[in-house]
Amino acid sequence: MLVNDKIIKRSNSVKLYSLAITALIVLSSFGASAQDGEKLFKQNCATCHLPTEKALVGPGLKGITDRAPSEEWIVEWVKNPTAMIASGDAYANEIKDYSPTAMTAFGYLADEEIISIIDYVKNYAPVVEAAVVAVVSDGDSDAEASDDGTLRNVLIGIGGLLFILIFVLSSVRRSLTQLVSGKDGVDTPEERGTWGSITHWMATHRGWTGMTILVGTLLFLQWGVQDLMNIGVYQGYKPTQPIAFSHKIHAGQNGINCVYCHTGAEKGKHSNIPSLNVCMNCHTYVQEGPSGTEEIGKIYAALDYDPETKVYGDSPTPVEWVRVHNLPDFSYFNHSQHVVIGKIECQECHGAMEEMGVVEQHSPLTMGWCINCHRETSVQVANNGYYEDMHERTPSWHDGEAITVERIGGLECAKCHY
Amino acid sequence: MSKTKKYWTGLDQLHNTPEFQERAENEFTPEATADNLLESDKLDEGSTKRRDFLKFLGFSVGVATLAACETPVVKSIPYLNKPEEITPGVPNYYASTFFDGTDYASILVKTREGRPIKIVGNKKSKLSRGAVNARINSSVLSLYDSARAPGPMKGGEATDWSTVDAEVGAALAKLGEAGGSIVILTETIISPSTNKAIAEFAAKYGEGVKHVTYDAISASGALEANEACFGVKALPSYNFASADVVVSFGADFIAGFPNGAANALGYGKMRSPKGGKMSRHFQFESNMSLAGSNADVRVAIKPSESAAAVISLYNKVASATGGNTLNGGTSEYDATIAKAAKELVAAKGKGIVISNSNDAGVQTVVNAINNLLGNYGSTLNMANPLYLKGGVDSEMDQLVANMKGGKVGALLIHGVNPSYSYGNIADFNAGLAKVDLTVSFADRLDETAAGVTYLAPDNHYLESWNDSEAQAGSYSLTQPTIQPLFDTRQFQESLLKWAGNDSDFFSYIKANWADVHTASPDAGLLFSDFFNTTLFNGVFESGTVGETPAFVGDVAAAAGAIKKVTSGEFELELYVKAGMGDGSQANNPWLQELPDPISRVTWDNYITMSPKQMKEMDFSRLERGDFMANVVELKLNGVTITAPVYPSPGQKYGTVGLAVGYGRTAAGKCGDEVGVNAYPLSSGSFSVGAVSSIEMAFDEDGDPVVYEIAQTQSHHTLMGRDSILKETTLEEYKQDPKAGNPDLMLYVSSAGGSGHGDDHGDSHGEEGHGDGHGNEEAAKEEHASPFLPASEVNLWADHAIATGHRWGMTVDLNTCIGCGACVTACGAENNVPVVGKEEVRRGRDMHWLRIDRYYSSEMTDEKAEEEGIGVIDKFTLMETAAETPQVAYQPVMCQHCNHAPCETVCPVAATTHSNEGLNMMTYNRCIGTRYCANNCPYKVRRFNWFQYYNGSQDFSKNPANDELGRMVLNPDVVVRSRGVMEKCSFCVQGIQAAKLKAKKAGRKVDNAEVQTACAEACPTNAIMFGDLNDKESWVAEIAKDERSYHLLEEVGVQPNVYYMTKVRNVEENEA
Repeated sequence: MLVNDKIIKRSNSVKLYSLAITALIVLSSFGASAQDGEKLFKQNCATCHLPTEKALVGPGLKGITDRAPSEEWIVEWVKNPTAMIASGDAYANEIKDYSPTAMTAFGYLADEEIISIIDYVKNYAPVVEAAVVAVVSDGDSDAEASDDGTLRNVLIGIGGLLFILIFVLSSVRRSLTQLVSGKDGVDTPEERGTWGSITHWMATHRGWTGMTILVGTLLFLQWGVQDLMNIGVYQGYKPTQPIAFSHKIHAGQNGINCVYCHTGAEKGKHSNIPSLNVCMNCHTYVQEGPSGTEEIGKIYAALDYDPETKVYGDSPTPVEWVRVHNLPDFSYFNHSQHVVIGKIECQECHGAMEEMGVVEQHSPLTMGWCINCHRETSVQVANNGYYEDMHERTPSWHDGEAITVERIGGLECAKCHY
Repeated sequence: MSKTKKYWTGLDQLHNTPEFQERAENEFTPEATADNLLESDKLDEGSTKRRDFLKFLGFSVGVATLAACETPVVKSIPYLNKPEEITPGVPNYYASTFFDGTDYASILVKTREGRPIKIVGNKKSKLSRGAVNARINSSVLSLYDSARAPGPMKGGEATDWSTVDAEVGAALAKLGEAGGSIVILTETIISPSTNKAIAEFAAKYGEGVKHVTYDAISASGALEANEACFGVKALPSYNFASADVVVSFGADFIAGFPNGAANALGYGKMRSPKGGKMSRHFQFESNMSLAGSNADVRVAIKPSESAAAVISLYNKVASATGGNTLNGGTSEYDATIAKAAKELVAAKGKGIVISNSNDAGVQTVVNAINNLLGNYGSTLNMANPLYLKGGVDSEMDQLVANMKGGKVGALLIHGVNPSYSYGNIADFNAGLAKVDLTVSFADRLDETAAGVTYLAPDNHYLESWNDSEAQAGSYSLTQPTIQPLFDTRQFQESLLKWAGNDSDFFSYIKANWADVHTASPDAGLLFSDFFNTTLFNGVFESGTVGETPAFVGDVAAAAGAIKKVTSGEFELELYVKAGMGDGSQANNPWLQELPDPISRVTWDNYITMSPKQMKEMDFSRLERGDFMANVVELKLNGVTITAPVYPSPGQKYGTVGLAVGYGRTAAGKCGDEVGVNAYPLSSGSFSVGAVSSIEMAFDEDGDPVVYEIAQTQSHHTLMGRDSILKETTLEEYKQDPKAGNPDLMLYVSSAGGSGHGDDHGDSHGEEGHGDGHGNEEAAKEEHASPFLPASEVNLWADHAIATGHRWGMTVDLNTCIGCGACVTACGAENNVPVVGKEEVRRGRDMHWLRIDRYYSSEMTDEKAEEEGIGVIDKFTLMETAAETPQVAYQPVMCQHCNHAPCETVCPVAATTHSNEGLNMMTYNRCIGTRYCANNCPYKVRRFNWFQYYNGSQDFSKNPANDELGRMVLNPDVVVRSRGVMEKCSFCVQGIQAAKLKAKKAGRKVDNAEVQTACAEACPTNAIMFGDLNDKESWVAEIAKDERSYHLLEEVGVQPNVYYMTKVRNVEENEA
């Protein structure tokens, strides 16, 4: 019950809660056959058909029971369409030229199974609605980040207001004092003014003054150094991308393996952004995402592809993604070294990508960060002919201590800089 | 003899002038820094006052600070539809073929993300055998030449292909109907499919179509001679790898000859003394050529004496083998010629006699000598001849005459540039103006294309399909490695289109190859399999061995018909530089900046002259250290050439040399106005003979005109340490393989002590020879010898050099021919910037690898002492000795010292040692103190004085400074910024890649897989690279060889580069 789980997780939203209940009610009315039907539909039919009225390779199946002569007719058609056409069946011959690809025969499906699929199709629509809303609302994790910013702005605003208040009140107090002393006809002892008072205070409290200046200077310096050290460090960098691609949906919910798209990670230095033909492996069929057709439509627009006619135009335009992980040019980093040889999980450097709606830079990508990992990570010598050969040649490795990347020269400049 | 021989990096070192000493002490010419800027007038011209300057300063600091705070947005644009074979970051190699009218090579093109970035040899070819030279591996940069024509042109204005097709088609049709003369003027065509396309074109336009072949560097004489002698109008293919004796009359068979790179490979194989046997090489020539500089016996002769010398050799060989002798042919060089003849006869069937003469008579006599010696069929292959040259000069001369006579209706010019390279340019241009329809297929608006109506630009060869049959039965394919960068179309497709065939050339080749397939031993295979395999391999050898044709030449008649080369006070011999070739790649900055192997001069050609003669004529011999050469006017038949004159030891007294390939006027920003055009002097032959006059040029004030030469060698001297190049003779080597390379013993005052860390005498150490000190050692037997082997004298703590990898290189001085292929390959692999003529003059060339050229002198300190010669006179005498010097080449790159002096002086630890024996240079850490370069005994570090890549006009010739040229950069190597040091990294990117490949495959690193760019490019395998700790590696074995030694071993830096003693195959007192 994938959909239900999702909804329960996000039950903090009242709206969602009510939707979930609706969904539950709808789902519970299906019974066992509907669930079998869904599974069977996905296994057998989803490659060419959608349960909606939209067409893929074959026609959308919504309302099929109204179109076809009877359910029995559908069962027979599904089992052997060629025979149906050959038998001269009128409706079969009417629909046979729907697409250049002929309908596959599913002789192995039992009658009940086909009927359960038909049932699933009949009752399809409401479930989709529920799922869409659920997923859309949980993709939005920007809110927390902007909350932080707002809080800070509010605090600064309040601070500013308080400061003005202090200033105003002290002026009022001074005016009042003057007024009172003038009325009394008593001489003011000495008019110092605000600045004068401060210097007077400082002159009389030298210890405190010195201490404050010292602490202030130190804090300032510390802040400066920290800030300088962070120049060029873009941890948390989270640019808006031209297509609101969600790793959370693809890698997380759909469980697509990282290297299905990032093919280069195991082969070369770049873990490349997939080219659009990789997207089209699925999105030829999956034309609608949780947020509708807009984002997927951008793929089609870039490829100049018409999802209705399934024809590619001749004026495609590449997608200009914003690069998130920017290693300086003078650092050489090879993904395949780390992924294939080092057997490091993508998440160790990139964070939990499968939970990111919008990709952000998880690690600082500083040299210190690289070096630390090289100091701590051990090399898997066994079962690799290269390392076994090196191990044999290097007696100093035979001391029983862990052979870290550092010990095989992983901290040397020319391992990354050339 | 050899042990005490002195070498000089240049004449200024020979004379040890004060300027030289000063320069020798300064790694970086000091004049060229801030002083230059402050002294320049431009400073006063500017309107920037001090206060303004401060304002600007403040503003820029502020802006820079602000800019640093912003996150830069970097776009990342993936393929729309990624080709299956491309993985970003992983190079692909495609087999292809290079041919430019002289050089041929089957090559592998390295591409990254669809961009060709490097060219290496294809070892699968039996003809070129993986050898490439500098011109071939630099040709990848010519692809990214912004001077290329962006599309078709009409009268110099841009037009489109349909206009060109319509108008040219109509004009041709009209001519064809009228039976007018249509001439296709091309370079030598070795492509069977192109020939077929030309034939198809000719068939369409009738009898009037004629195909004329023209070679800028002509081999017309040899072709005519071979046709007369064998009935084959082609060149023999030379097998230098089995030639025990090579006798060359002026032929630079390495640098300027067809298939030169493969010749070098074969030649190099026979130059190794391993086993006590190496080839013997006689060279008779006027200019010091690359081949001549490698000869064992080199005799300087005048061009006018060459024919007589060839006849003399013929007579001596004939009398020894029972042939008929010829009249005449006595020569003042008979003693040496007799020796050569004797050795040739002794090595019957294993010798090569070769000549560069363009006279059919001389070439016939040369053929006859080879025939008498039975060399055909073993070292010379006429059965499967080379088709690399096809131009017959008389046909070209006839064409020009016809053009002038208005008899040519249409001229289609492909691959040649006669308005630049034809002897009589004015005649050709006058003729061109009289032709109604003129079309050029040149890749740019070059000298010839400027005079034609239509420019139908051809693709670069890396954008083209083509096939070739360079040698009978040896086929290869050219395939595109990138989409055409401009709106260009292949020459063949244009021809076919005008012949009414709309087929693309790829389909055309495929159809044509069906015949090759049927005739091949692979006829049983499917055609597609056969073609794809050939495309993958790049080559297809049919395996057909032809029959050696019988020699039917009439030697006596040919000898009688030899055209006399005029003799005179000065005789001129033109030559081809190893870098520039015929000048077709003049706009390639890598080739322009490649120092000439002999003169070490970049960005120029110049008149070479014997130093002795220059002294007599009061010319500057460039000894003053300011590189100011005198400019002379050379006059010949009404042509005046004004060029600097440059001393060339080994140049025959009374002769001058001048390289072709320079003086282009329409090549592009790098090639234009560089040097002078020598072709107008040639009149069909490079052996020009007597010139009218050579006189010093004066300006209007009556002062001699001087010109600053951009030479590289004297900048990086070896600081007077002249024990760097060890050599011996073959005889001595046979007796003792360690001859010339004795173990170096250092004097250590704390005798018998550990020798570590104590006083070692002076900084140079006391040199001695193991044997030489035998007596002293015996005398001090009771208290241990104060001499220790250099390897045991140590200042520093040792690195763990015996464990893990230890990358090392070996350089065999015997097989290094100095060609410079390694230098350009290194530049391509490592993004080495091109700095231009002005910066080279200032001593700021950036090559990571230099090839030092040393001239020898027989004068020694001992001899001077013996004969009581004073110091001044001694040096004067050394000059006369340099008249016929022996030459040695020594490539010097970072030696990757295990006790590197540079590492200890870097204040920021930017240069450090790796546990694999590499001396690492970390650019991002370098702050540019240059202490390392000052402390390097080998002077191999280079400093980035400027941003060579950021659009500055001063460095517009640097490929990285050009939108298009930038595409050639290797993405695995960083482009260095201003203010950092750089140097040879042993191609660490290649080492890392090879290691990664091995790790993925779970095996040890394969020796063949880990190669530096220089080792990969070396046509003679003089440079080898590998893991010294891997017992199976090539270098580990060579390092143990008796000839191996370290450069400047006495300084104790323990390099990872080994050199091998040069062994000369000379007899005592010879040459």
